[in-house]
Amino acid sequence: MDFGFSEEQREVQTLARQILSEEVTPEKLAAFDEFQQERFDADLWQQLVEAGLLGVAVEEAYGGMGFGFTELALFVEELGRSIAPVPVIPHSVTAALTIQQFGSNDLKERLLPAVVNGSGLLSAALVEPNNENPSAPTTTAVAEGDSYRLSGVKTCVPFASSASGVLVGAASDDGVILALVDPKADGVSLEVLEYTTYEPQFEMTLDNVLVSAADIIAGPADGAAALQSAAEHTSAALCAHQVGVTDQAMRMTASYTSERKQFEVPVATFQAVGHRAANMFIDIECLRLNTYQAVSLLDSGTEATTEVQIAKFWAGDVGHRVSYAAQHLHGGTGIDRDYPLWRLCLWARHNETMLGGSVRQLAALGERIVAGEAYCA
Amino acid sequence: MKVEFTPQQSALREELRAYFTDLMTPELADECARDMGEGGGPLWREALRKMGADGWIGLGWPEELGGKGLSPIEQFIFVEEIMRAGYPFPFLTTESVGPQLAEHGNDWQKNELVPRILAGDLLVSIGYSEPGAGTDLAALKTSAVKDGDDWVINGQKMWTSLAHFCDYTWLAVRTDQNAPKKHKGISVFLVPHDDPGWSFSPVHTLGGVRTNATYYDNIRVSEEHLVGELNAGWKLVTGQLNRERLSLVNVGPTSVMFNDIVDWAKTTELGTGGYVIDQPWVQMNLARVRAGIEALKLVVYKQAWAMTEGTLDMADASAAKVYGSEFFIEVYRALGEIVGQSSLVKDKEGAGRTLQGRLERLYRTASIITFGGGTNEIQRDIISAAGLWMPRASR
Repeated sequence: MDFGFSEEQREVQTLARQILSEEVTPEKLAAFDEFQQERFDADLWQQLVEAGLLGVAVEEAYGGMGFGFTELALFVEELGRSIAPVPVIPHSVTAALTIQQFGSNDLKERLLPAVVNGSGLLSAALVEPNNENPSAPTTTAVAEGDSYRLSGVKTCVPFASSASGVLVGAASDDGVILALVDPKADGVSLEVLEYTTYEPQFEMTLDNVLVSAADIIAGPADGAAALQSAAEHTSAALCAHQVGVTDQAMRMTASYTSERKQFEVPVATFQAVGHRAANMFIDIECLRLNTYQAVSLLDSGTEATTEVQIAKFWAGDVGHRVSYAAQHLHGGTGIDRDYPLWRLCLWARHNETMLGGSVRQLAALGERIVAGEAYCA
Repeated sequence: MKVEFTPQQSALREELRAYFTDLMTPELADECARDMGEGGGPLWREALRKMGADGWIGLGWPEELGGKGLSPIEQFIFVEEIMRAGYPFPFLTTESVGPQLAEHGNDWQKNELVPRILAGDLLVSIGYSEPGAGTDLAALKTSAVKDGDDWVINGQKMWTSLAHFCDYTWLAVRTDQNAPKKHKGISVFLVPHDDPGWSFSPVHTLGGVRTNATYYDNIRVSEEHLVGELNAGWKLVTGQLNRERLSLVNVGPTSVMFNDIVDWAKTTELGTGGYVIDQPWVQMNLARVRAGIEALKLVVYKQAWAMTEGTLDMADASAAKVYGSEFFIEVYRALGEIVGQSSLVKDKEGAGRTLQGRLERLYRTASIITFGGGTNEIQRDIISAAGLWMPRASR
């Protein structure tokens, strides 16, 4: 049982924090508010490429740093702290890790170096309208020789218009598969969604889209495992992002209430204020530890479905509670768009909701309890 | 970072689980249940001496002090397993008073008392709170006055739990009435219960747990009974409380309770068909409890890990205490909802051995640790000050 960080892990953390604290400022973030421009900081992306961070968990053979999911998650936590305008979760977590684990050598050689050097942007389409279970897609895949024809609708697909490839799950007669779809291919149409965080997102309609055998990441034999792995790693990464977001919101609240005076004393000296902040601290510690546990288990290849569900439950509840407590303790300042708290609140809600909020996690965990899969050790 | 047990830690856990399963005979379990989970009975004493003889007391103490020298993580595994088995282990004596005596005690304390603690032969209760000194403990009035070579102790303590079957009380007293700050004039004495000036009266609580008011009437003790330095007792008191806090919240009994309720819900048929667990709201309650237990486990293990590393953070320790104590209350409610009104029916001897009997008893005892062991308001003050650097109002 080791809750400490290794030297490499600390280095990744420090490097990420250094770049992000310098490059992501409230002024730069403001330029993306209300869809003034696509929420993507190309300069920052390039710096992350040069630091090797996009490929922190990519094997050295493909140009990556060769570290594990833990190091990647610590990087994501820092992205949450800064709410950096870069799509690292779909690119480096959902797409790269899944391709690395399930893809053919040919796919890995073709895609992973581009993940690391930033020459290609990968994304993932995990949810469908009215079906947010990535493991049970209603999008269909009809075999045609060793290729497939995909039809269906995916929604909330980040960066679909600029991605070179999008991971798409689909159901074939022989089981679910995971395909890499070129969003510019014939039969793909994109509709822009105005998403709450200003991240570019799209509804992606697939109409008989041809995917060649070379672009099948996982066929019916291991498609279910690939979709489950993609979803669980993405969930854990959202939790890590939420740790960063909520921790930052809490620290801003602690600073603000220590400065802000009413009745001639800092409002932090009122016990009612201090205790609400203490509740945030306790909440975030619960989220952080459950997140680290899920990440650590996934990193070592241990079955972690229960632990991921529990971490995501905490990400939902803690994100919700911390977001509103931070706004409240700031008073009007918390919702003033000239003060940077409000953007954190958008991401807290995104992290809470994506791949299932708390009640959905509890329902899924409940099913595992019924099946005898979630006893306490 | 590796949030999993090492193979050695898993093996220790298996060993302890088997040991305590053997130790906890049905007769002993009955006796403990009758004593409201406090111990003190003849079978309980016999089992404690056996644990002492088998070397399980002082597991985490340094080897040079007679312990096994295992790390706090291994010690936590021990605590978890013993609480899981339902044996009321005298933590205050073995985990907080004992190590402090071994570290700060004089020759008599080290050579006479400590070995008896390690043998499971000597028990010590804690005397801090008074009718007028609770959260503001440093306001205590019980005094020790030097008279020749001896000290004469007078006063009253409240909530002196277990005192009715302990040998000594670890007593915080005022030894300097004129100290510039009130916590600077406090010392700790070991007061023998066989002194004619020592008496107690029981205090019965909502949960059925018995505690005591204790009285100190001209008790004369020798200098040997002073622990550590004169007027330097505050550090001993706070050091003891820090250790005590760590044994207050523990995931063992709750894990057993959760597993038992799952099994009960899976095998209990509803009068209207199907099983209890088929109901969606039952699954939701179970899942909520399960998710909370996971957090408690991690919060507690992280503390044990930090103690091993020597990096225990004050705010983290307080966070664990607040989270755990408030979570237990919610657990007993959620599980009680599942069992329904039957969860309010005591078992035959009111002993709390059956599932329903346990639930009926636990909801009544749950509030003790939200204020006991340092009230949660003070813990939250510590968190905002030490964890978030927020300024605090003067008291």
